[in-house]
Amino acid sequence: MQRNRAPSAQAISVLRALAADPARWRYGYDLVTEVHLKSGSLYPMLVRLTDRGLLETSWEPGQGSRPPRHLYRLTLAGREYVAALPAARAGQAVPRLHNRWSEA
Amino acid sequence: MGMLIVMLCLAGSAVALILRSARAVPAGPAARGDVPERLLRWAAGLLSAQRAEWGQAMLGELDHIDGWGPRWRFAAGCAGAALLLPPWGRTAAALWAMVLAAAGAVGVYAAVAVRYRLGAGGWIFAAIVLVFLVGFTLAAATLLRRPGIALPGLLGGLVVALTWLALSGFTFSGVTAPMTAPWSRLIAQVAVPALVGVAGALWGGSAAAGRRIVRLAAISGGLGLYLYATIAVAVLGAGGPPSDPGSTVSSTVGDRLGSAVLKDLVLLPLVTATIAWATATATARLRPSLAASLVSVPVPATGPAGGPNPDPVTTPHEAGPAVRVRSWHGAAWLLLLWAGVAAAVFLAVVSGLRG
Repeated sequence: MQRNRAPSAQAISVLRALAADPARWRYGYDLVTEVHLKSGSLYPMLVRLTDRGLLETSWEPGQGSRPPRHLYRLTLAGREYVAALPAARAGQAVPRLHNRWSEA
Repeated sequence: MGMLIVMLCLAGSAVALILRSARAVPAGPAARGDVPERLLRWAAGLLSAQRAEWGQAMLGELDHIDGWGPRWRFAAGCAGAALLLPPWGRTAAALWAMVLAAAGAVGVYAAVAVRYRLGAGGWIFAAIVLVFLVGFTLAAATLLRRPGIALPGLLGGLVVALTWLALSGFTFSGVTAPMTAPWSRLIAQVAVPALVGVAGALWGGSAAAGRRIVRLAAISGGLGLYLYATIAVAVLGAGGPPSDPGSTVSSTVGDRLGSAVLKDLVLLPLVTATIAWATATATARLRPSLAASLVSVPVPATGPAGGPNPDPVTTPHEAGPAVRVRSWHGAAWLLLLWAGVAAAVFLAVVSGLRG
């Protein structure tokens, strides 16, 4: 059963980074460097955000003999979710900043 | 004699690994083949089928990262994530059972060490045992995640452990005593591991799966038998089989705990894994339909600027070692494997006759 827990602060950072240019497809390593996350935290987060329908993924075909590369961007639901974030967060006195990579 | 067999198994394993690395086929023309990539490729293979795409995503990203440090950091982080990424399914129960068995063995060892005042040496040895058990559990965790490995591997371990227990008469006293019955070593150290290897290859459907099954069988069998032997020492103390004349209760108990480690956590897993691994490989070679192959996991491809692409991009996903082997390599490989098996059989027979 899919549990829709509140996203962690790190997941919100990723969502906001993607929302800066929602039409643009982004690479995983770009997100690692932009949000200053470790890859071990980012990928489980991307998996869960995708499972929740907030992200869509695509493959960039490999050039020559290089492997294909995974791309990410927000879905319409993801954009709406990010747009609603400030209002949703405003009701909370203290943002939840604990770092639980299993949360996304 | 037991140490000689262990040495032979170690030498056989080393030769096999050297030959395996010599015949390995590169992952692809663009693959760098460095340690971070190998680590991540291995970890990606642990992901469940529905998450395999994410392993390819990590590998594809690693290919575009330059520099020793960044590649290491990225690969290590992704490997850790791949190890833990759910779903684990029913294999979680098997892993928890192995963790509990290892923790139980450590707990019983600690209780014995306190009760019989084994001193600093006993606790140092306990730390070594803990390292062994953590290694066993981690190895089991990686094997259990592979599809189709858990059930046959654990069943193989059960067969191995039950064989050793049956040869000791299913008694605590028999477990703590050396194996002296005629042909018992031949059965426990050669015949049953050989059968487990053949059954593993046939059940797994490939040489690679068969080898993983026998590794899990060796680990789980050794762990189970070690737990039993530790409990036996805790129950018997200095009683049971006669000990060396003049030895104290503490030294007798310490010796028995040490023997259990050597027998159940070193000898049994090593001998079982080596013999079964050899027979699993030989079985797959004798039946071409079981030979390891490279399969492809289709990864749905959509263009970043367009709609879904109906033609999937097929990405190679390692299901086992590649099989492009030059003929002399194959012949040498088989010769060495069977020489090792023959030597082990001979030593076990001689040992049985002398016993």
